[in-house]
This record gives sequence, structure tokens and C-alpha cells, in this order.
Amino acid sequence: MDLKKLTRLAMLTAFALIIFTIELQLPALAPIPGMKLGLANIVTVYAVYSFNAGETASLVIIRVLLGSLIAGNLMAMAYSLGGAMLCLLGMLFLRKVIDKKHIWVCSVLGAVLHNVGQTIVAIVLMQTKTVIFYLPFLLVSGCVAGALTGMAAQLVVNRLNK
Amino acid sequence: MIRSQKFWAAVCAVIFAGSLIWCIVLLTMKPGDTVTITQDGKTLYTIDLSKEPDRTIEITYEGRKNIIEIKGGRVHILEADCPDKVCVNTGWLTAGIPIVCLPNKLVIEYADNDTGLDAVAG
Amino acid sequence: MKKLLAIVSAALMLVSCGSVPEQKHTRTLFCMDTYMTLTAYGDKADEALRSACDAMEILDEEWSVTNPNSEIYAANHAEGKTVPISEETEHIIKFAKEISQQTDGALDITIFPVLQLWGFTTDNYRVPDDSEIQKLLESVDCSKIIADNGSLKLPSDMMLDLGSVAKGYAAKAAADVLKMNGIKSAILDLGGNIQTIGLKPDGSEWNIGIRDPGADGIVGTVSVEDRSVVTSGGYERFFTQDGVTYHHILDPKTGKPANNGFASVTIIGEDGVNCDALSTSLFIMGPDKAEEYWKQQGGFDYIGITDSGELILTKSIADSFKLDSDHMGVKMTFVE
Repeated sequence: MDLKKLTRLAMLTAFALIIFTIELQLPALAPIPGMKLGLANIVTVYAVYSFNAGETASLVIIRVLLGSLIAGNLMAMAYSLGGAMLCLLGMLFLRKVIDKKHIWVCSVLGAVLHNVGQTIVAIVLMQTKTVIFYLPFLLVSGCVAGALTGMAAQLVVNRLNK
Repeated sequence: MIRSQKFWAAVCAVIFAGSLIWCIVLLTMKPGDTVTITQDGKTLYTIDLSKEPDRTIEITYEGRKNIIEIKGGRVHILEADCPDKVCVNTGWLTAGIPIVCLPNKLVIEYADNDTGLDAVAG
Repeated sequence: MKKLLAIVSAALMLVSCGSVPEQKHTRTLFCMDTYMTLTAYGDKADEALRSACDAMEILDEEWSVTNPNSEIYAANHAEGKTVPISEETEHIIKFAKEISQQTDGALDITIFPVLQLWGFTTDNYRVPDDSEIQKLLESVDCSKIIADNGSLKLPSDMMLDLGSVAKGYAAKAAADVLKMNGIKSAILDLGGNIQTIGLKPDGSEWNIGIRDPGADGIVGTVSVEDRSVVTSGGYERFFTQDGVTYHHILDPKTGKPANNGFASVTIIGEDGVNCDALSTSLFIMGPDKAEEYWKQQGGFDYIGITDSGELILTKSIADSFKLDSDHMGVKMTFVE
């Protein structure tokens, strides 16, 4: 990995963390655990369309780990990681079939997978299927938030990578 | 491999619409009377809200507390010393949406169809 | 986008057009020393339930042994003089006397002084001497009560308590009020004394659990339509002294807790008053006399649970009865 790429990745990770930390300060959208805008995903989606799988994965993992430390909520790390990994795998596959003019679609599906991943981790950790009742609410908000962050990422990708 | 962009957009639309319907179904569900309080997969309390007097229940998990309040046949989490307080903000328990405290692995929900019993003679 | 809107709106219509279940209304009240839950279905159910509650509260006021304004209190403190009574009171006293005769004195509404002696009315429990019991038993005989033409005369040494029949009567009265108000589906839980009206709104039968007299939980369930299900058991009120458990269902013959082999008896029948009175009576009779009585009178079903945990039930209820999974293998005897 050349130095320039490494620097860009580090910058992006830092950038994602800043967005993440700012979003932490915003009040919760709804009283549903795990529901949030996920603005830091703009960076993730951008990375998916700009770097290779390994590079993107390392960015996401470091972002989630450091983010959980900043938030001071290690319990939440498991949920975030579960969601983020499923989301990442899905988007890495989808970038092969979805072109750069439809990045928002990829982002929506990524958000959906993120919600599914979160829920699966919660079911395993809490040993109850009850949390599945939150899934539809997470999915609705995930679709909207995913579309928004996806469109933002789409703008960035198409402007920066010309 | 499906490369039609329209197809993937349609998938998004179907998921969104499906989730929306699912939400509506959950929100319009009618609650029963029996509520269970579960922690870490273990049922701690089974409460018949129609007969339960107003009271508070304190539940401790690894040193952290949740205070559950039952009042006028409804139940909510009054206080919690978990970091996020999502459970407190969820408000009163409704049929479709359980109250969940992820950090303390606590779930309050309506029991599904109870035991199938309409009453007990005795 | 248009497509999406179309899908969403179509789905919404599907959801909203689904069959709307009849509205469920529930009222609870504390009456006749128990906690009652009344549930009825239908648009006008709320109003109907309110009237039903009112009806039961009136009965409670007329029949309370502790309320100085009640008819029963007046009769108990009249020192042998005649007191005026309402139509319901006359009706239920006549009924109680009839049952007492039919059951050969297993049920007697004048057992109250003995109940007081044991402390069951005040929670100051004690085991009285035989001589004390015998003395009071002399004034236990409901055939000496004269209830006729709106008046009641009680010998001065006797006391009346409608506890063993009041809830059944109240359940029937409440059910009558609901039916009069057009309610087709309701379930009344008068502290474990169950009265159902019709079928459930979904057309299925009501599932009533039969409490396990020996432990928490139930021994099984009966499915019924438009029936009353009433259980009497020694577990309802009791105290323990010197390792012996004394319960509140006193045998009028001995003045002591009935100990004839039943731990609980459940009566399933059409008439709530009858069921309530018979559950106590059959409990006091014990298995053999209960079977004999049923063969003579009939008109109801019963499920008896013996002290050793065996089940004795009438053949005609067997099909509607389902044993609880925890009690599989329990010995069941059918009476026919």
C-alpha cells in the first residue's frame, strides 16, 4: 500500500470518526435502540466505491472500534460490528452490479443489511427473539437514512473520483 | 448476475414498503393483559396488568439498575442507569413494540396469547 | 416512485380492510370480598358492564355481613324479630334452603357463628374446643329460617351468611344484565368463580383453567360455551396450627373443616347460582356422596380432585376437558 493511499485512508477514518462523534451529540431520533442516521456511513459508502475490499474493511473496522471507545459504550460495539460487517460484505458485492450513478441504491441495501446484522447480534446476545419487533422500524429508518447518506456519498464519489 | 439498476431500486422499494406494512401491523396490534419481564433470556416476572396494583420493580444487572413502574394497568421503565436511556425514552409498553434495555439485557413485552386460557376457576 | 406508492397504498388498504375484531371491554371491581374482572365484547359492552357492576354492588350491599346497612346484617342483629328483605334476598335464601335439603345439609347458610369461632371471618384463627363447636352447632339449621313475602325471620341465636351462594348469584345477575343489553360474548371472573356468555368473539369456546389445589398452576382446562365454572377448594382460605392445616369450608355436621376426600371440586353448569352452591356442597360431601348426588339430581358436570391428586369427573365433560401437560398420567375416574 503506498503512502498516499494510506494517508487518504487515515484521513477518511478520522473524518468518519468526527462525523460519528458529532452525531453522538445529537438527540436520539426515536426511542428504538440502534436507530440513527449513520452519517459516518457516507465515508463507508465512498470507500466502497473508491478502495479495494481489504482497505475498506480495515477502515470500517477501525472506525467502529474507535467509535465505540469514544462513545464509551462497549456493549454497543458488538451490535455495530455485527451490522457493519454484514453491511460491508453486502456492499462489496453490490458495487459489482450497481454503477456509480446508483450508489444510493447500494447504500440503502447496505443500511438494510446493517439493521439485519444488528438484530441478529442482539438476538444472540440477549437470547430473545423479541428484538425482532424493532427490525421493521429500523428498516424503515434505515432505508431513509441509507438513501440520504447514499446520495451524499454518490455526490462525493462522482466529484472526487473524476 | 442481475445488473439492471432498476431491479435493485425495486428491491429497495419492496423492502421499504414491506417494513412499513410490518410497522403498521405491529403498531395496531391489540395488547393482552399479561406482560413478561425477561433478563438475559430468563423470565423474571409474569404480570397480569389488569390485576396488578400500582408499584415499582427494581431490577439489578451487573450492578446496574432498571426501575420498572406499573401504573394504571400500564408499564414502563421509570429509571435506568444504563448509558443510553433508550428504554426510559421508549415510554409506556405497547403491544407491538417491546421495551428493550440492550446494555442490561432487559426485555419487557406482552406475552403472546398468554396460555390460551381465558380464565382460571379456583 | 409511482410504483412504490401504489404498492404501499395497496398494502395499507389490505391491512385496514382486514376483519375488525369486536371491541373488547374490561371492568374490574372489588366486591363481595373478591377481585372481579368482567370482560365483554361489542360496541355497547362498556355501558352494559357498568350496569352489571352496579347490579353486583347492590347485591353486595344487601348481603354483606359486616355492613350495618345490609339486609343480612339487620336480620342477624334483629334478635328474632322479622325484617323486610328484597326480592333477590328472599329468592336466594329460598334457594339456599332448597339446596341444603337436597344435599342433606352439606350446605348451610347458618354456619356463620362456627366460622366466626374458628376466626375465618376476622383472620384471628384458632382451633376451638369440641364443646364450643357443639354448643354453636345447635343453632346451625337453615330450615328454621323463614323467608317469605318480603320478610325474613331468624331465630335470635342464629346468624346468616350468604358467602357460599352470593358470588354465584351475583355472576348470574351480572350475566343477565349483560344479556339484556345485547351482549353475546362475555366472560366474568368473580375471584375464580367463572361465568361465560356465549362463545368467544372468534366463535371458539372459552378455555377455563382448573386450578391445581396442591400447587401453583392448573391441572387442566375445560372448554365451555355459555356455562358457569365454579371451583371450591380448601386452599382458598386456611391456616396451619401444630402442623395441621385447617381450611374455611366447614362441614355443618361436624363444625370442622370438611375432610371427606376432596381437595377441590369444580362444577360446570348452566346456572351460576347452582354451580356455586354445589361446588361447596360436593366438596363437603366427598367423592362417594358427590357421585350419588350427581346420579340422583344431574343437570351439571363436575371435576373433583381428591386429596391424593386423582381426578374424578363426569363422563359428559370428559371430551371438553384437557389435562395440563404437567399432569399427564394422573389417575382419572369417570362417573356416568
